[in-house]
Amino acid sequence: MSDGSAQVPAAPIQRVAEPGLVGSTGRRLRNGVIGLGILFALWWLGGYLIYLNPKTTHFASFGPVPTFKAFPEMLSDGLIQSAVLASGYRLGVGLLIAVLIGVPLGIMMGRSKWFRELSNSPFQVIRMVSPLSWMPLAVLVFYTWNQSIIFLIAIASVWPVAYATAAGLAKVDPAWFKVARNLGAKPVQLLTRIIIPAIAFDIFTGIRLALGIAWVVLVPAEFLGVTSGLGYAIEDAREALAYDHLTAIVLVIGIIGWSLDSICVFFIKRFSWHHSG
Amino acid sequence: MNQSAVNVEVNNYRVSDSLKYFGKGATNFVGGLAILFALWWIGIYFMSADPARQHFADFGPIPAIKAIGYAWEDGLVQSAVMSSGARLGLGLLLAISIGVPLGILMGSSKKFRELSNAPFQLLRMISPLSWEPIAVIVFVTWDQAIVFLLVIASLWPIAFATAAGLSKVDPAWFKVARNLGAKPRHILTQIIIPAIAFDVLTGIRLALGVAWIVLVPAEFLGVDSGLGYTIQDARETLQYDYLMAMVLIIGAIGYLLDSTCVFLIKRYSWTRGEV
Repeated sequence: MSDGSAQVPAAPIQRVAEPGLVGSTGRRLRNGVIGLGILFALWWLGGYLIYLNPKTTHFASFGPVPTFKAFPEMLSDGLIQSAVLASGYRLGVGLLIAVLIGVPLGIMMGRSKWFRELSNSPFQVIRMVSPLSWMPLAVLVFYTWNQSIIFLIAIASVWPVAYATAAGLAKVDPAWFKVARNLGAKPVQLLTRIIIPAIAFDIFTGIRLALGIAWVVLVPAEFLGVTSGLGYAIEDAREALAYDHLTAIVLVIGIIGWSLDSICVFFIKRFSWHHSG
Repeated sequence: MNQSAVNVEVNNYRVSDSLKYFGKGATNFVGGLAILFALWWIGIYFMSADPARQHFADFGPIPAIKAIGYAWEDGLVQSAVMSSGARLGLGLLLAISIGVPLGILMGSSKKFRELSNAPFQLLRMISPLSWEPIAVIVFVTWDQAIVFLLVIASLWPIAFATAAGLSKVDPAWFKVARNLGAKPRHILTQIIIPAIAFDVLTGIRLALGVAWIVLVPAEFLGVDSGLGYTIQDARETLQYDYLMAMVLIIGAIGYLLDSTCVFLIKRYSWTRGEV
């Protein structure tokens, strides 16, 4: 451990901070950069092998160098920005609806045994209907494709939020409600002072799962009908045979997904009150 | 004599008690589904009451259930389930055979875990269907491309769950086993596998959920078999009763697969107070 921190370049600012902490975050950062470097090296090697083979040489723009060259052009054309904005809007509204429906649903499932037992079988069946199979129905019911995509995201991500909320509520000590009621808490105060702080951690865990699923659903949902968003950008690049644009969008999807997931992890840690979590 | 009578009574009590619990569970199960079907029927009834939207009547529960019967007689359901099942099974099998060793590597080597974290997180958060154009070019058949999409979607939950399970294993167990003369093979079969079976199965359950989501849109394009294709086909031929029948079948099979995973998870759980 001391060897590891000694190898970290000793910048004056870093010395002020706790050495062990800086050493481990420094090492982690370095390992992260090296890991990504290995990934890009393997990708480059794959692209190079494709380039060497005369049969596949026109696919060489799948490699990292053409991909990174495509970025400035796509950014200056506003291609990436508009795709991210359109997809982000759909994802944001879909997740918001899922949280607004899922959290109350989860609280109901956690608080009422009767509701939980009765709702279990229908909710499990609806949950396990693959979200994209609602697509034909959604297109008929909603007026615009945008609304259908938001519906697909909402129906895919409402279940993780609801079940995580219910599971969180099940872990809450019933004595807290008794104490609160004895101290004269009204239902509103019970909700804001006990239930929400107690289950914030679980809600964010549910939102993280929901985000992962919504991210999976978003791209195929945008393959059809709409002319904006990340899924459309992929489909468009494929049809135009612009493989460098295609891999650039794939990379953007990975980076944004990773960032959103990391934000969720940050909130989960922030609202965690049980140390084992 | 007296004691055995008591025993019988106790046993009878227990049997009737568990029967009562089972009965209550079954009542709630059926009751819940009945409410779902009732709401479905009411919703479609009011939607199709408007003459402009009369064609919505086909979306109702009664046409859907009738359509399941017809589709079953024609062998439509069976063939769709078989071809989707083959893809799903092969995809999950490949994901398990790659994901579990990867997870064991991540759980047992700190260096590998820290190096692989950033690239794996990046790859994990690439929405699986965005690999589709690349998969179609790389693989010769659509079937292979779909299996690839299923593998790349379900690999990560299995690998990360395996790694998390391994990190919970008490290092003292390895020490004890080694002191008792266990060889690496014994450590694998007698300690690692029983210890992480629960976590691997939890990972498989998550993987199944993601694979189930990916399967349907993956089958929308290219292939002419499977559940996704059948939905798309029913939509294009405007057979809405078949469409809803397929939605219902997808939900029922998904529920069945998920319940199987839950059963196995409970069976292999050795940590008390979890699940």
